[in-house]
Amino acid sequence: MQDPRLRLFAAAVLSLAAFASTAGAVAALVWWLLVTPRTKVLPRPGVFLPLIAMIAVTAALSAWGGGAGLSYFIRMTVILLLAAWVYAGTEEGEMLAVAVWALGDRVGFEIGLIAEMGLTGLAVIRQDIEHMRVAMALKGIRPGVRSIVPLAANLIVTEIRRSDEIARLLVVRGYTIGGRICPLFRTEPGDVLASIMALIPVLLSTLPLRDVFILLG
Amino acid sequence: MRVDLEGLVFARGPFTLRGSGTFGEGVHLVSGPVGGGKSTLALLLAGLLRPESGAVRRHGVSSALLLLQFPEHHITCPTVAGEVRSWGLAPEDVLLRADLLGRGDDDPFHLSRGELRRLTLACAVMQNPDLLVLDEPFSSLDCVAKGEACWMIEERGAGITIIFSHERAVLPRVDAIWEMEDGVLTARGSVPDAIPSWRHAPPYLRYALREGARPENIRLSDAREALCRIRG
Repeated sequence: MQDPRLRLFAAAVLSLAAFASTAGAVAALVWWLLVTPRTKVLPRPGVFLPLIAMIAVTAALSAWGGGAGLSYFIRMTVILLLAAWVYAGTEEGEMLAVAVWALGDRVGFEIGLIAEMGLTGLAVIRQDIEHMRVAMALKGIRPGVRSIVPLAANLIVTEIRRSDEIARLLVVRGYTIGGRICPLFRTEPGDVLASIMALIPVLLSTLPLRDVFILLG
Repeated sequence: MRVDLEGLVFARGPFTLRGSGTFGEGVHLVSGPVGGGKSTLALLLAGLLRPESGAVRRHGVSSALLLLQFPEHHITCPTVAGEVRSWGLAPEDVLLRADLLGRGDDDPFHLSRGELRRLTLACAVMQNPDLLVLDEPFSSLDCVAKGEACWMIEERGAGITIIFSHERAVLPRVDAIWEMEDGVLTARGSVPDAIPSWRHAPPYLRYALREGARPENIRLSDAREALCRIRG
């Protein structure tokens, strides 16, 4: 999908559908299989598989406690697939453009800037993790439970410090609130059709009310 | 103990690195301009990158260590003392050597880059690996700290030390000179014979050579001594 407005709209409604019910999640998965480049948008296995494993462990614990573990696994995995698709397809400046288009130069610009910084931060975190992996290899530290805690603490502190630096930089450059950009979007005929199709899982997710009650319970 | 580069080729985008040669025991200086491929070769030597063709072969080297160009990339612990321990070293000795006594409880990110450089260099030298690769060990250091870093490197008695640096003012005593430019590694040979053919020689060495002096090594003091000899 070329148009980021439609891409984000589709991702939002499909995520809601997937979260609301298993039927909605399965329908969203079918949409994902039909519309996206599928496995090409997934991150490398070293990133993707641990996330799936985390969902699987949570689902297993839920099932063990008598909850809807399998449903949770299906719904969260589909949301993860949708997130991977949006992340892979989003180019620099698109979030800002969509937010300004939707909410204007003041509030929209603020939200768009935060979203852009968040997306950039994900790439930076990936680099930081890679640096730590190299540092551990150089020091002869084997990755394990004992090394994860200080690494995670280090990573969090680094990201907080980096956010502070960016905030100071914005102030130094005279940023106060809002800004002006003229967003331009390119919409392909297939984008509109795919967005309309994204409403089908939403409709399906509203039909089996039983799942909604389980979720609320 | 030696490290052989056998027809090493590594490409990334339009950049291609090529290198062959042998690094024997002693201190080697690989000099050259920024962006010439020094850091890439350092990563290849440390085994953190794989060449597209050719190989890096280590003979008699049981331990190797790379000091990264950016010292903050070494940090894995939230305190300076913890950071030293993560290298498998006792904090007291390292902090004394790095001139950071009393800073053990500090956040390593609160150290200046120069202080962090001193800390990582002290850790690397005190680990005393057979092969020590130092990527820009003098960057971010003032002249005094550069001198101390040179002293730490010279103090390493055995093993192979390979310094990648574009530094042209404060340098340690070395045994061999190499140059890296536009991705091509060139061996200039052993010091002092290699000094006249060293294209990136520091200005004080060029001056000494122009005056007809023959410095025995590449330090400023060597150039000064050589000039004193010919001038009586």
